[in-house]
Amino acid sequence: MKQIPHDENCVLEVHDVTMKFSRYDVGVDSLKELIVRAFKGDLRREKFVCLKHVSFTINRGEAVAVIGRNGVGKSTLLKIVSGILKPTSGWARTYGRISPLLKLGAGFDGNATGMENIYLNAAIMGYTKKEIDAKIDEIIEFSELGDFIYSPVKTYSSGMMARLGFSIAISMESEIMLIDEILAVGDMAFQQKCYDKLSQLRAKGLTFLIVSHSSAVKKLCDRAIWIERGHVVEDGPAAETFEHYSQAMMKK
Amino acid sequence: MQKEGRMRRWGQQAYLLRLLVRRNIKNQYYRSFIGVLWTVLNPLLNMLVMAFVFSSIFGRGEGMTLDYSVYLLSGNIIFNIMRTSTSGSLTCLVQQRDMLQKTKVPIGLFPTANVLSSLVTFGFSFVALLLVMVIRAAAGAYVFHWQIVLTVAVVPAVTLFSLGLSYFLSALYVFFRDLKHIYSVILTLWTYMTPLFYTIETLKNDLVEKVLVFNPMYHYVTYFRDILSGTIPDAMEHLILYAFALVSFAIGYLFMNAVRNGIAAKL
Repeated sequence: MKQIPHDENCVLEVHDVTMKFSRYDVGVDSLKELIVRAFKGDLRREKFVCLKHVSFTINRGEAVAVIGRNGVGKSTLLKIVSGILKPTSGWARTYGRISPLLKLGAGFDGNATGMENIYLNAAIMGYTKKEIDAKIDEIIEFSELGDFIYSPVKTYSSGMMARLGFSIAISMESEIMLIDEILAVGDMAFQQKCYDKLSQLRAKGLTFLIVSHSSAVKKLCDRAIWIERGHVVEDGPAAETFEHYSQAMMKK
Repeated sequence: MQKEGRMRRWGQQAYLLRLLVRRNIKNQYYRSFIGVLWTVLNPLLNMLVMAFVFSSIFGRGEGMTLDYSVYLLSGNIIFNIMRTSTSGSLTCLVQQRDMLQKTKVPIGLFPTANVLSSLVTFGFSFVALLLVMVIRAAAGAYVFHWQIVLTVAVVPAVTLFSLGLSYFLSALYVFFRDLKHIYSVILTLWTYMTPLFYTIETLKNDLVEKVLVFNPMYHYVTYFRDILSGTIPDAMEHLILYAFALVSFAIGYLFMNAVRNGIAAKL
């Protein structure tokens, strides 16, 4: 680990990140395919550069949207930021805990009850039993699930599942919130409640990193980073960047 | 400060592991009428069926030093440690992909949890085995030996062996999704290549005997049966048990570490 001066305000730092993948040009994902192709001799590996020299820093309390079309490397960037993926070169670092907001009902075990899933999910996110115990009432209350919390998750409607997932992510104490394509959760009332809660958290100084390819998140962000073909095209105030982005999309 | 952080992390991971194991056990016997009792009843009933079907075919074979029902059940519960932990681990990373894509968590915990739950199941099955032994002893067909305590020597070896294999398979499955079908065939073959319901003596085939020496499960199963019938295997046999276990663990662990980034990218 390089020693770098740490700016008090900075919570997330991405420095000159380049990510290269080496993959089969046809995307081999079964042994059968691998063997058949190896015999036929058309197994070529190609280098594929996903992110090129991406750098940015995010300060405490900022809400930043990462925008770009599908497949430009947004998800990869998110994985690098959360420390799951090591970049080919460069580094990313966060100062504080990350709380990911998952897709609808993702990561739940259908057979387990809502209650068990809260503990399991939060434990996977790295929280201790004590920390979860302290938050459990808040989570259950926010999810508005009532007694359903003791029923297996597979009996939940999709809205209920989303509410549970959302409640876990925002109730646990963290400094950075990772949000990937969201907020089509629950009914209108609950959506409003989520937006309210998010703004409340923002006011408390939480940092948001939101990944999206639509402009639905515009009102939640004050800054946007537009990524195209692995490059940062624009990094600036949300309104402007979204404007340029949608113009560019229209032309295509 | 740093030390404190590490302690916290270990405690947290141990907690997560406990939750995962508990979930696995619960799922296994999910909402069944008699719940946990199934963990004992299941191997018992299976054994009864198999004993009923096979005893007239293989039961009176040569070289049978154990009562057939004990022979059958003892082999199966040892083999099942490996079978259930690997077949559960195979898909465990892919099943958790939604979480693993977003959260930094040591991925080795998931296969480990599967192996530990198989170990818990083994504990219950062991109770079933004791029950059968008591019944057979009452009928005069089996005599208890103190060597049964050596179970504590063989179980860690099987566990370590299964752990290595589970690491390896769960990581490999991320890249090759057809492994599921291939592995189920391998597992079937492995079941028949291990003397679970027959004895090698009944086969009267030298070639099979030579090949069996390379089957780690053969050694584990045989060791367990030896101690149940009152023989202590020699030092060489102990060495073999742990050699297989350590090699498997090393390969699995190193492989998982080597492809860690690939898994993160692929999930």
